[in-house]
Amino acid sequence: MSAPAAPVARQGGRSGGTATRGTDARTPARYRRRPQKRLVFLLPAAVFLAALSVYPLIQLVRMAFSAVTAATLNSSWVWTGLTNIRTGWASGQTQQAIVRTVVFVVIVTALGMALGLGGAIALRTRGRWSGILLAVMVFVWALPPVVNGSVWKFLLGSNGLVNTLLLDLHLRQTPAPFLYSQYWALGSVAFVSSFAVIPFNALVYRAALLNIEPEVFEAAAIDGANKWQEIRHIMTPAVRPTTLVLLVLTIVYGFRGFDFIYVMTYGGPGTATNTLPFLGYLQAFVRYDFGLGASTSILAVLGVLVLAVVYARSIRREEADR
Amino acid sequence: MNPKAGPVATLVKVLLSLLYGVPLLWIVLTSFKSSADVFGTQSSLLFHPTAQAYRESLNADLVHALGQSALIAVGTSALTLVIGVPAAYGLARTTGWLPTTGLGLLIVLQMMPQTATVIPLFQVFGSWHILDTTGAVVLSDSALLIPFATLLLRPFFRVVPPELEEAASIDGAGMLRTFWSVALPVARNGLFTVGTLIFLLAWGEFLYAVNFFLTPGHYPLSALLAQQVSAFGINWPGLMALAVLTSIPILVVFTSTYRLLRDGLTVGAVK
Repeated sequence: MSAPAAPVARQGGRSGGTATRGTDARTPARYRRRPQKRLVFLLPAAVFLAALSVYPLIQLVRMAFSAVTAATLNSSWVWTGLTNIRTGWASGQTQQAIVRTVVFVVIVTALGMALGLGGAIALRTRGRWSGILLAVMVFVWALPPVVNGSVWKFLLGSNGLVNTLLLDLHLRQTPAPFLYSQYWALGSVAFVSSFAVIPFNALVYRAALLNIEPEVFEAAAIDGANKWQEIRHIMTPAVRPTTLVLLVLTIVYGFRGFDFIYVMTYGGPGTATNTLPFLGYLQAFVRYDFGLGASTSILAVLGVLVLAVVYARSIRREEADR
Repeated sequence: MNPKAGPVATLVKVLLSLLYGVPLLWIVLTSFKSSADVFGTQSSLLFHPTAQAYRESLNADLVHALGQSALIAVGTSALTLVIGVPAAYGLARTTGWLPTTGLGLLIVLQMMPQTATVIPLFQVFGSWHILDTTGAVVLSDSALLIPFATLLLRPFFRVVPPELEEAASIDGAGMLRTFWSVALPVARNGLFTVGTLIFLLAWGEFLYAVNFFLTPGHYPLSALLAQQVSAFGINWPGLMALAVLTSIPILVVFTSTYRLLRDGLTVGAVK
């Protein structure tokens, strides 16, 4: 499974009925009266994450500003300030990785959102085909990324199925170098990454579409609306809150994309698929320059922080709109 | 809801059926081919099926890797639920700056790129002398998945009516008892959904496994697969056989929980 970020429930419910909203309205008052003893339940998670998430992140920041190699990893580190970051920029690799990350995110997000919504609209109809197809898609999504990455590496190879079809249909004279050309590889891996996220997006969009009251469609049909107008004026506006949430989640998914790059191209050919997360990994675990790898990863972390703030704000705005 | 699918919808369905059906079919077909069949034309549908790839990959190493996968997936699911379930309940039932900050922190943590955690965790585990142990992978996988699990579980606890818990406390149940015998049973669908997801994710995780196990002898299936697919001169039937074997447990878990997943996954996003 390609880990999606968990969508964070907004308070109450747009269509969730009065029960949910009523509960939410009463909860704070009721619990304000008694001391918040239930904070105790947060304690195990707080301790665990402090030791295994927050402390490592502090170490990452320290590493980014120090000279750390495999040899000095477990001794004291020499503070070198911005040297690592300067090294990354001077080599030009950091800038290239940022550009590649942006291209990667744009492709993953565009395909993931468009086919997610398109798939949901096509699959919202009841029927055996829709049911089976949805199940197959969710199953593919649940498969380990190494499995999906492996089969697509096979399908996109020089003798793979895609190239066989292209040659047989005379669309190309020579096999397309999907994974072996520095111009194609990034797009190919981004396509496979979006392939792995489309089922999740379609599933969430489908649930949002099923929440639309049937009377709305009946009224539109009486007014003579065609299919396209239904999508344009009923479905798209109705799923706008879902779109907002999925958009951020898909961008984050693309931004932290790593598994398919590792499996399909390992950063290559050359450096063509070295996005920020992958470059940081290579620098630390292949070149054993943990300081340089940490400084590259810090940039990825900063990007995520920006996205998290955007996400939190969009959730709050949705609540205020209500 | 309009029950009739237009031509465009049908086209999208055909496209998606090919996009998701063909890779699945190809994994299985290729795993039953001989190396010679794949070397000639990789795309032929007609071939003499052979279980050669399975016979070659089914050995003691594979059984060991399967055991490692199971240990990691079950251990991670258990640890993640033990820590994440109370946290989700606590976040659903408290207000103020502390839970709000915690929620924000969880959102940030679940978005962290895994490469930003694998680098420092390698050092941290090294200094704790637990590299090359299954425990290190379980701990890191749990740290990766607890934020995700907690955020996904919280809405399931939010819809548990507080009146139920108050009735229990009037009857003399303490805080822990109320949580255990009132809130937990009502939110059990969420528990199953999230537990399944954690199992699937931990089963497929390979980056921590590849780096925290120092020898391939301890690798789980996902890490073996990742190691073989990035090697030169791939033995495709063997690799696909390994992929099928890695996917069979997923298929078992998936078929028994699909309805739950389909309906439970979207709770946070659309409500």
